[in-house]
Amino acid sequence: MTFWKAAAVIMRKDLTVEGRSGEVLWITIPFGLIALFLIPLALPLDNPLLQRIAGPMYWVILLLFGMTIALRQSATGTTPQREALRMLGVDAAARFTGRVLATTLLSLAFALVLAPATVVLFDANLPSGWPLLIPIVMAVTLGLGIVGTVAAELTRGLRTRTALAPLLVAPLAAPLLVAAAQATESLSRGDSILLPALIIAFTVLGLAVIGVLTAGPLEETQ
Amino acid sequence: MKTRYVLSLLALAALGYGFYLSGQHPPDAVQGEYVRIINVHVPASWVAFAAFGGTLLGSLGWLATRRRRFDAFAAASAEVGVFFTALSLLSGMIWGQVTWGIAWDWGDARMASTALMFFIYLGYMGLRRGMPDETERAKRSAVIGVLGFLTVPLSYFSVNLFRSLHQTQSVRPDGWQIESGEIVTSMLINVAAYTLVYLVFVTWRTSQGMVPDHPELGSDLAGDAVVAPSLGGRDE
Repeated sequence: MTFWKAAAVIMRKDLTVEGRSGEVLWITIPFGLIALFLIPLALPLDNPLLQRIAGPMYWVILLLFGMTIALRQSATGTTPQREALRMLGVDAAARFTGRVLATTLLSLAFALVLAPATVVLFDANLPSGWPLLIPIVMAVTLGLGIVGTVAAELTRGLRTRTALAPLLVAPLAAPLLVAAAQATESLSRGDSILLPALIIAFTVLGLAVIGVLTAGPLEETQ
Repeated sequence: MKTRYVLSLLALAALGYGFYLSGQHPPDAVQGEYVRIINVHVPASWVAFAAFGGTLLGSLGWLATRRRRFDAFAAASAEVGVFFTALSLLSGMIWGQVTWGIAWDWGDARMASTALMFFIYLGYMGLRRGMPDETERAKRSAVIGVLGFLTVPLSYFSVNLFRSLHQTQSVRPDGWQIESGEIVTSMLINVAAYTLVYLVFVTWRTSQGMVPDHPELGSDLAGDAVVAPSLGGRDE
């Protein structure tokens, strides 16, 4: 089985498990929407303020809940499953890639649901060049998928997993958040988004290279 | 062991001399006496970056060779790095409060990225504490040691890449960013002293980290004399 074919099979398996458990669709997405709903409730009744923070809030919620998607229970493989995949000769990097792709697709679905909700709840005005944000969203969700998958693997089996995994993911994903928020702000002002786009691209590339290279050692058992 | 003591004495002497020089240079025309904070802030920041570089090298070394010493070195370097990052953040905040009028400015990319760097290595230490198995701990923390280093260039170059209140690097290829020669000398002596302190801390902590968590037990154990009861001639 080729690398990409193996990755596609793993991705399909993860999506099927998610389809059956409905963890992202029925729990994470509604929870994210509630979070988006709670923020205006905690702020003074000030529409211009809400419009101004709409973009940054969108990215913060996407980061926090994208992390939850990456660390979802349904993506945690059991030891027998991992052993079976190893015995079948599935490359560790292909397994990692498949898991990242599944998480990215689920985060992307979340991002798509979140976007119109943000526009409506925050009465936000879309910047004129908003289609340029689509590749930014895709790259950010890919980056989140990579960091989340690595963190899930690193904290597998730990009692402190629930607290430790977000502690590892949040700082590593922060450059994506900063650059994405900067890109949104630049678009609103009519400025170029080249620099934030490059920062996102390099961060995602760096994470992907390290993620793929360290997938093998992380798979090893003693 | 003797080298370690010599290194410790040398570091102590350098630190003392650096401290003495910090009080000798004249106050700055704008910053006044607070300019002396540079003698702590810049060396602490330099050591923090170098320490996380050490963690990267140790982590890569462990991944390549699986030798315990690399893991112990990476962990020791991360611990020292976290300490110096905290010192850098704290000294920067004190300086910011008296110079900019604000201890923490969210518009400053250097502050935010340094805090992120601090948190990722706190996570590194948290991960190590949660893993009882030595090999598994070394493996997982090596991955974080490599991944976490991404935040180091981000923090270093943040003053060039993003809008920032923080001035650009004090030492750059195109020259010094500090006008007074005395301040530069004092700062450089402190950089050397802090580097020696880093080496001392890392050497001690690495040797401590080399001690196995669960040492192999010898054959003479309490209770060895107790044997299973004999079943009256029925040898099994």
